[in-house]
Amino acid sequence: MRKNWLLFKIYLLAGTLTFSGGMAMLPTIERVVVNKYHLMSRADLYEYSTLSQTLPGVIALTNACFIGKKVNGRSGMIFAGLGAVLPAFVLMSLATTAYQLVPKEGIALSILGAIRAASAAFLFSAAYSLARYNLSDKLSVLLALGCFLLTVLSVASAPTLIIGAAVVGITSTFVKRQRDQKKG
Amino acid sequence: MLNVFLAFLKIGFLGFGGGYAMLSLIFAESARFGLSVQQFADLTALDGLIPGPIAINSATYIGQMYGGFWTGVAATLAVSVPSMIFVPLYMHFETRIKNNWLLSAILNGIKPAAVGLILAVALSLLLTTVFGINDIFSLAQAHVDWVSIVVLVLVLGLDLKWHTNPVLLMLLAGVIGAVAFYL
Repeated sequence: MRKNWLLFKIYLLAGTLTFSGGMAMLPTIERVVVNKYHLMSRADLYEYSTLSQTLPGVIALTNACFIGKKVNGRSGMIFAGLGAVLPAFVLMSLATTAYQLVPKEGIALSILGAIRAASAAFLFSAAYSLARYNLSDKLSVLLALGCFLLTVLSVASAPTLIIGAAVVGITSTFVKRQRDQKKG
Repeated sequence: MLNVFLAFLKIGFLGFGGGYAMLSLIFAESARFGLSVQQFADLTALDGLIPGPIAINSATYIGQMYGGFWTGVAATLAVSVPSMIFVPLYMHFETRIKNNWLLSAILNGIKPAAVGLILAVALSLLLTTVFGINDIFSLAQAHVDWVSIVVLVLVLGLDLKWHTNPVLLMLLAGVIGAVAFYL
């Protein structure tokens, strides 16, 4: 039980102090889990972190579940997971309540309008940085362009395109493997 | 509430490759729960202000906006389910999955797709905030909002060039919006 509360506390703190999800938490987690409490080895932590990024689901939560389960079994997983989700949920729930109270007229609407434009800018910026890391060959550029056009022209929905892209990824990797095997 | 739960369950299981890949799925589902593009833009802003993973933040917001506090709880739980299932499963079959090429092959397809999908969401927000239209087909009715264009270009420039803190950028946008109200 002591280990469970420790896991809960570690993830609660890390979750409150990290603004974006994914691997942004990793440095904090590494410092506490590996250096301070010696709950697991650095190599294990890195391996689970890489893995979290390949499985479906919320990356930061998957990572918390891996660490929790490794340290203290199923109950450790639940406590770490809860710690990882709780700050995001509580703070967002409060923010949503506050947001609902903001009048959507007059100067507040003018401010909100400008912030919405900033939101659009953030998404363009996100698309740009994702493109820099993930568009490395012709096929990937084609996939990105195809998904963009099909969505904008409302030909296909995002879930359909994600599944389609997964099939393309599997097929192309399979073909590549076959070719490599023939070669040698 | 069940509809919200199932929608976020689907988002969780299709949510490979991180927050922004998931955000495009969330955008696709959000209209079904009565969320306008404007409200989705506000969600994106709140995602930047509030700590935590984008998917958790978004589930809480959309659930709560749609059906109150408990629907927010249901949506958050639903999007958390895949992690709770895949982690024990993986650890149980660890040796057998370790060299599985399928997972990375799936990601090879989804990651580039996510670029296109999130770009489409960004364009949607641009059309709504700057041109006041909902899709590319109504371009004829577009009317330009100059304040929004200035904010968008300024924020995008500062973000790409100097990685200015997003909270600061949102504050800047808010100030411009307030000043514009009196112009």
